[in-house]
Amino acid sequence: MTGTSGGASAEAKSENTPAKSGTPGQAASAAPGSATTGSATDGREVVFSVRELWKVFGPKAERIPQDASLAELSAAELRERTGCTAAVRDVSFDVHKGEVFVVMGLSGSGKSTLVRCLTRLVEPTSGGLAMDGEDVRAMDRTALRELRRHRASMVFQHFGLLPHRTVLDNVAYGLEIQGMGKAERREKAAAMVAKVGLDGLEQRRPGQLSGGQQQRVGLARALATDPEVLLFDEPFSALDPLIRRDMQEEVVRLHREEGRTMVFITHDLSEALRLGDRIALMRDGRIVQLGTPEEIVGSPADDYVRDFVRDVPREQVLSVRRAMRPAREGEAEQGPALRPGTLISEAIEAVVRSGGTVRVVEDGRCLGVVDHACLLDVVARLDQPGPRDEVAA
Amino acid sequence: MSTLAPPPRPVVDLAPPAGGPRALLRPRPVHKLALLALLAAVLVPVAALTWSGAQWPAGLTVDVSGPLGDTTDWIIDNRDSHPLFVYFLGHLSNAVVLSVRGVYLLLLALGWIGVTAGGTLLAWRLAGARIAALTLVFFLVSGGLGMWVPTMQTLALMVVAVFVSALVGALLGLAAGLSERTFRLLRPVLDTMQVLPAFAYLLPVALVFGNGVPAALLATVIYAAPPMARLTALGLRGADATVIEAVSSLGATGRQKLLTARLPLARKELLLGLNQTIMMALSMVVIASMIGAAGLGDRVYQALSTVDVGAALAAALPIVLLAIVMDRTTAAAGERLGAGGTPPGPGGLRGPLLWAALAAVTAVFAVAGRLSGSRVWPTGGTLEIARPVNDFKEWMVDHLYSGVPVVGGTADWAGRFTDWVLNPLRDGLTALPWYGTLLVVAALAWLIGTWRTALTAVLAMAAIGVLGVWEPSMNTLSQVLAALAVTLVLGFAVGVFAAGSRRFEALLRPVLDVLQTMPQFVYLIPVVALFAVGRAPAVAAAVVYALPAVIRITTQGLRQVDPAAVEAARSLGATRWQTLRQVQLPLARPALLLAVNQGVVLVLAVVVIGGLVGGGALGYDVVTGLATGDLALGLVAGVAIVCLGLVLDRVTQPTERRSTGKGA
Repeated sequence: MTGTSGGASAEAKSENTPAKSGTPGQAASAAPGSATTGSATDGREVVFSVRELWKVFGPKAERIPQDASLAELSAAELRERTGCTAAVRDVSFDVHKGEVFVVMGLSGSGKSTLVRCLTRLVEPTSGGLAMDGEDVRAMDRTALRELRRHRASMVFQHFGLLPHRTVLDNVAYGLEIQGMGKAERREKAAAMVAKVGLDGLEQRRPGQLSGGQQQRVGLARALATDPEVLLFDEPFSALDPLIRRDMQEEVVRLHREEGRTMVFITHDLSEALRLGDRIALMRDGRIVQLGTPEEIVGSPADDYVRDFVRDVPREQVLSVRRAMRPAREGEAEQGPALRPGTLISEAIEAVVRSGGTVRVVEDGRCLGVVDHACLLDVVARLDQPGPRDEVAA
Repeated sequence: MSTLAPPPRPVVDLAPPAGGPRALLRPRPVHKLALLALLAAVLVPVAALTWSGAQWPAGLTVDVSGPLGDTTDWIIDNRDSHPLFVYFLGHLSNAVVLSVRGVYLLLLALGWIGVTAGGTLLAWRLAGARIAALTLVFFLVSGGLGMWVPTMQTLALMVVAVFVSALVGALLGLAAGLSERTFRLLRPVLDTMQVLPAFAYLLPVALVFGNGVPAALLATVIYAAPPMARLTALGLRGADATVIEAVSSLGATGRQKLLTARLPLARKELLLGLNQTIMMALSMVVIASMIGAAGLGDRVYQALSTVDVGAALAAALPIVLLAIVMDRTTAAAGERLGAGGTPPGPGGLRGPLLWAALAAVTAVFAVAGRLSGSRVWPTGGTLEIARPVNDFKEWMVDHLYSGVPVVGGTADWAGRFTDWVLNPLRDGLTALPWYGTLLVVAALAWLIGTWRTALTAVLAMAAIGVLGVWEPSMNTLSQVLAALAVTLVLGFAVGVFAAGSRRFEALLRPVLDVLQTMPQFVYLIPVVALFAVGRAPAVAAAVVYALPAVIRITTQGLRQVDPAAVEAARSLGATRWQTLRQVQLPLARPALLLAVNQGVVLVLAVVVIGGLVGGGALGYDVVTGLATGDLALGLVAGVAIVCLGLVLDRVTQPTERRSTGKGA
């Protein structure tokens, strides 16, 4: 019951959801200008609200989150002392309506478990979990089933397609589970198959498709139920790099067209930076940093994150807002102007052409200026206080 | 935007430290042996002082013939009056008799023309033209050899037995596949039933139902249902977890999950289970002639009891053909289903319509047959092969049994094998003190498996002693060991050769296919023809029966060795022999151990049946028990066979096979 009403309201809401702010050409722009931070909710609707979530595997798992002395142990110590593995530890975050929320981390960091906790495919050990303000952990089986049927669909790393069904029937499967009639669901499924670019392959079986095509089927199956949220669990990890690129663009396109909320799990930093509005970086079950791609790359929270993002071409992620310095006398009035969200890679051209300083202007007000030195400092990583000496040496 | 370079992956060491707690939990072989030696040092002197002699001490045996005799008498007395028989077993037995009779009458009513047409069309629909041709040959041969009526009797029993076995097996498998607890309960039982010889099931069933069709059918169901149950459960449990998770993520209910995902995903296992159930049912239906199943098996049994090789062969040929037809039909149907292709058939005729058409054609043939007045096989159309075969056998007796220059005769070989191998082995086993035997069993089982398997093996061995059949059991064991040794030497040699030569393997494959589908009973006929009766032919039959499986597992095991390892060895300049010895054989160790395990189980099954052709020992006790109505004697021997089967299986059971399941 609740699920149906929730699904209906979700549709109504999604219409006035602002589309992602990145320009079409900038697949990885990740809205550098809008600068939503990890903590701020800035009035946007929250789809998933996760509070102090724990998932512990092992005997008597419930005691771990409650016991502060155990909860602080490292993964190895915990396993030795209790035989338990904490896959998700004390994780809190909100997923906002219409955003692409990326959870990234290495294998074993707990990110796949975390996304499964969202629809209770994996039962959380403790903590709070709400979807559209409804307590998911309190749902009974029927309500939970309704949630999975109508409000959140998942795309899996290994596709999870039914090998004995045709592409069309695989896509229609979610609708069949809901009890929709054969003709109607096939019609809807056919539209989804076309949407993901698989026209003409309707009667094939998954075994006859390439990996990329199979994942398109998985994507179409998830979309067919018109869910409020799409959950992706490392969907492209098993694909070739070129196909992966195609599929990422497909996701970007879908997001631009429909503005659907997405939670995206990946271990690939470039994928996270390309797709994510915000990124939660996980390590050993904890979120070590949550922020926009620019925040993650520009202001790593600790050495682990810094190590992680070390090889990222910073000029393609960071904006001039980060590189600019206060304008000296006279500089604020002359020279070309750039928006603060302009990427450094683009600013370089303007600076080179002007031969001097370039102003950073927002709403007619000059926030600061950039010149060769500022931009190079950022690219060369000299803007960070920490490792400056290291790099200099 | 240009691509972002992937970041360097910080190396996270997730591997547990070398050794680790696992190594501590698994004692090394030396430690196991030391522990056993310690145990032996304490217990053996005590045992030797308390009970003298190598034989199992009389003081430790329990005479069960009295109580068993009483039970037999009670059952016979109460069969017509006790509520259990009247209200349950009686109805069961009536239902069995009625349904088998019904199918038999239907087959007779269809007449030979109708049955042949129907069977051939069915095979064509399920498996294509080649198998249909084979089916046609089967019907023509069985009619031509004058075996039409026994063939129909066997078919009728098979139809009902397979139906019931598959149903019971599928239900059990469903329960075990869906419930963890049922699975853990059933798995060791099914695993164990899988290794027990068919012979062991005959007596308990005969005890309850008396000789007749119900007993035969029940024995068949008990023997043939486990593979279906096992594979159904494994198939349901082995379903691709990612698919099941995806289905759950879409909000499927438990029932939806079962019907739309789990069962379809397990199709391959279900069909394999059906195939195995059919083959085992045929094997048992033939052997069950000893407890009153009419049909082809009965003809073989009668012929064997008078050493009439010709008559036995006439009945055995249809059995072999039936086995091949049934195996190929289900296998081909399975492959087709697995490939997702559409079955053959004229366009427009699909599904139920095609079936209806097949039924109609069959009916037309049947009516045509009736109108032409020949219902059973035409009297003039049979070929008598018993006499020429027996003549040939007489010729062999005269010319090949002995006195052949240089190589000697087959009977000479059998005699020498008995004198030089079987007798010393039997005497040695009998002379070995009983506690020594127990220790050897414990050591072997523990070295290869776990302490659980060792304990099961020792307890089963001790049970043999307690039942007072130590000596015949040692006799049977000596035959099993001799047959196993021959099987392994031949099997490994051929297997290694086949793994090395694709051409040889291609030649060998059809031979193995046929050999593996034949029921155990059939193997007795050629060995009796060659070696007369005695223990040597029983061993020879066991070798022939077990050889195909051993060859096949060895070849597959060697083939599946990681090609990268073989390539690496070659690149280092290893010779072929070095590669085989240092890379392939060690890496194929699990497969080789499995081959030993399978070999010993199969050998035991036939050595026991060898009691029918003079193999003596436990098998003979079962045969005598059945023939003379001395059920106590046969039952004790049956239990001893079960125990021996357990011992042999556990002693050769590699740890790997158990790692997925629990219990011993």
